[in-house]
Amino acid sequence: MFNDQFKLSRRRFLSSFAVTTGAIATGAGSWVFPAGWANAAAGPIKVGIATDITGAMAYAGNADTNVARMVVKEINDKGGLLGRPIELYVEDTASNESVAVGNVRKLVQREKVDMVLGGVTSSMRNAIKDPIVARGKTLYIYPQLYEGKECTPYIFCTGPTPAQQCDEFIPWLIKNGGKRFALPSANYVWPHTLNAYARKLIESHGGEVIFEEYYPLDQVEFSSTVNKIISNKVDVVFNTIIPPGVGPFFKQLYEAGFLKSGGRLACVYYDENTLNINQPEEIEGLASCLDYFKVLAKDDPVSGRIQADYDKQFPGKFLLAAGSAATGTYRGLKLWEAAVKEAGKVDRESVAAALDHAKIAEAPGGPAEMVPGKRHCKMNMYTAVAKSGTYEIVARSQGLVDPKEC
Amino acid sequence: MDSVLIAAFEILSFGAIIVLVTLGLGIIASMMGIFNFAQGEFVLLGAYITYLGATSGLPVWTGMLAAPFIVGAFGFVLERLIIRRFYLAPIVAMLGTYAIGLIIRECIRGLIGGRYISVSEPIGGSLDFGDVHVSAWRFVIIVVTLLVMVASYLLLARTTFGLKIRATLENPALARASGISTSAIYGSTFAFGAALAGLAGALVVPVFTLFADLGIRFLIQGFVAVMVGGIGSFAGPVAGAGVIGVLSAALPWVMAPVIADVLVFVLAIVFIKFRPQGLLSGRRV
Repeated sequence: MFNDQFKLSRRRFLSSFAVTTGAIATGAGSWVFPAGWANAAAGPIKVGIATDITGAMAYAGNADTNVARMVVKEINDKGGLLGRPIELYVEDTASNESVAVGNVRKLVQREKVDMVLGGVTSSMRNAIKDPIVARGKTLYIYPQLYEGKECTPYIFCTGPTPAQQCDEFIPWLIKNGGKRFALPSANYVWPHTLNAYARKLIESHGGEVIFEEYYPLDQVEFSSTVNKIISNKVDVVFNTIIPPGVGPFFKQLYEAGFLKSGGRLACVYYDENTLNINQPEEIEGLASCLDYFKVLAKDDPVSGRIQADYDKQFPGKFLLAAGSAATGTYRGLKLWEAAVKEAGKVDRESVAAALDHAKIAEAPGGPAEMVPGKRHCKMNMYTAVAKSGTYEIVARSQGLVDPKEC
Repeated sequence: MDSVLIAAFEILSFGAIIVLVTLGLGIIASMMGIFNFAQGEFVLLGAYITYLGATSGLPVWTGMLAAPFIVGAFGFVLERLIIRRFYLAPIVAMLGTYAIGLIIRECIRGLIGGRYISVSEPIGGSLDFGDVHVSAWRFVIIVVTLLVMVASYLLLARTTFGLKIRATLENPALARASGISTSAIYGSTFAFGAALAGLAGALVVPVFTLFADLGIRFLIQGFVAVMVGGIGSFAGPVAGAGVIGVLSAALPWVMAPVIADVLVFVLAIVFIKFRPQGLLSGRRV
């Protein structure tokens, strides 16, 4: 008797468990943020955000969603766009391309959003661009720094490209580090393409690449690499290893005495989020080149206002940082807003035509403008160095830097 | 010469880390016949507890000391509530423990915001022997791994409790007839395996930083190590872990890392094909 009851309750438990997990898998993961008011005549403009709310890229996806909510709220509070409120549709791409495609289709086909912004990794962009742009016939804005070469019509990129991150940075590294470079890298498309660009610059500025080596994405043991760096007397480690490997790698380098003997670390995706991966002394002097650093908020009033707004609305773990596409998201939405205003309507053709040459005066790190015909974005670039757990700006671009794409 | 010494130390230390992570997995697999897919998340829990201890202002080592006990207690409760329902269905047990692992992993991912967080070690910096710099903390890990190995061996081979565990593994019905409470033995063995994972997590988190996928990173290597070493004894998985750990760290010194990564698994598969019972087989401790 006892046994029968036990079996029954376990079965019931299992079935209800299955229902719950099913609900979690399909139902959750979508959020709608309606505006506080409505325009009965035309209805709201629908903006879709497809980003990684869960999974490995969650730290970036949540920050990007926060930025989108902040920008949309700001637009709605000022009376909306073309007199219509903006409704934000957020869809979780879950750091998983196969899940993402289904969810993005929902956004494009069921919700019929007027524009989709999102994606953090290049593999995610490649997975979702077809459902959005080709089959979905919708505008797509990709906000993350990336390897370049995305020239598909109707895709607009608002993050930095290799040219923007390297053109001024590599000469600075040669001057403030040395001529002997090592390029340890994770084995996927971004490091391969970025390294090809960086190598050309290093060699044309009188430096040399001692070795360029690729590692499996989940490798966490780098003793042979560290040994090669130390024994070859490398001056600059231009790193494109990503988490989880980057923390152990920098630590092993530090313990082997690389920094003590005057070595320079460089990593172009390093921002405020990644500072926590190592103890401050392990990455002292690490140089990065991005479109925004939080220290800029101190001397640039526009950046200061945006940073303060963000911190007030979203205090907590998800930071407004350039390496997680948060600043690219801000630029993307504002450029799109400017384009819609100019076009006076929200259909894909008119907005794309206006977005092609859109400009904004205010964004984190300074103004930004699209390069006509290129669908990439000119922006200010800053070189910063890690000093006891924060960044210090050591160089800044003279005006907006050209993305040199397409 | 210097670089040979450094290479030997680094390879040994990574071997020790893999042994440490695999110990608990091996004990649960060998002594209970359960392939615990949540083992990696027990490692993660140990790491997370260490991080919590460090951020609450206590010295880092207090969190490290607490981690094995807390994770062990958690494992005990988990065995009571869930794992014991799986003993007769090993395949279901794999799925069930995988689900438990997934829940733990995603909860911790939420708690740390999906970030990668540095946890400092109680003994930091490097030990310098002339031009040779080796990490002090990795040295500590090697020593602790040796101590834990010896202690676990003595516990299983020389104590009454160890005898009861082995008796339960050998013949549960006879063990029960002889007055051994097999369910209590299963509970404490699982807790012991979980505690070892907790300790491993606490010790390796300063090396690898805290992130949600820390445990799953080592799970596959752990299972390969158990397969190569042989199930059914304590020594088997330990030997297997030593081999896998040393191979994974040594091969990148002589070939492209991307190839080395795959080659470890190829070698393991070939080895298992020709010696399916593993390195050390048979009924021993």
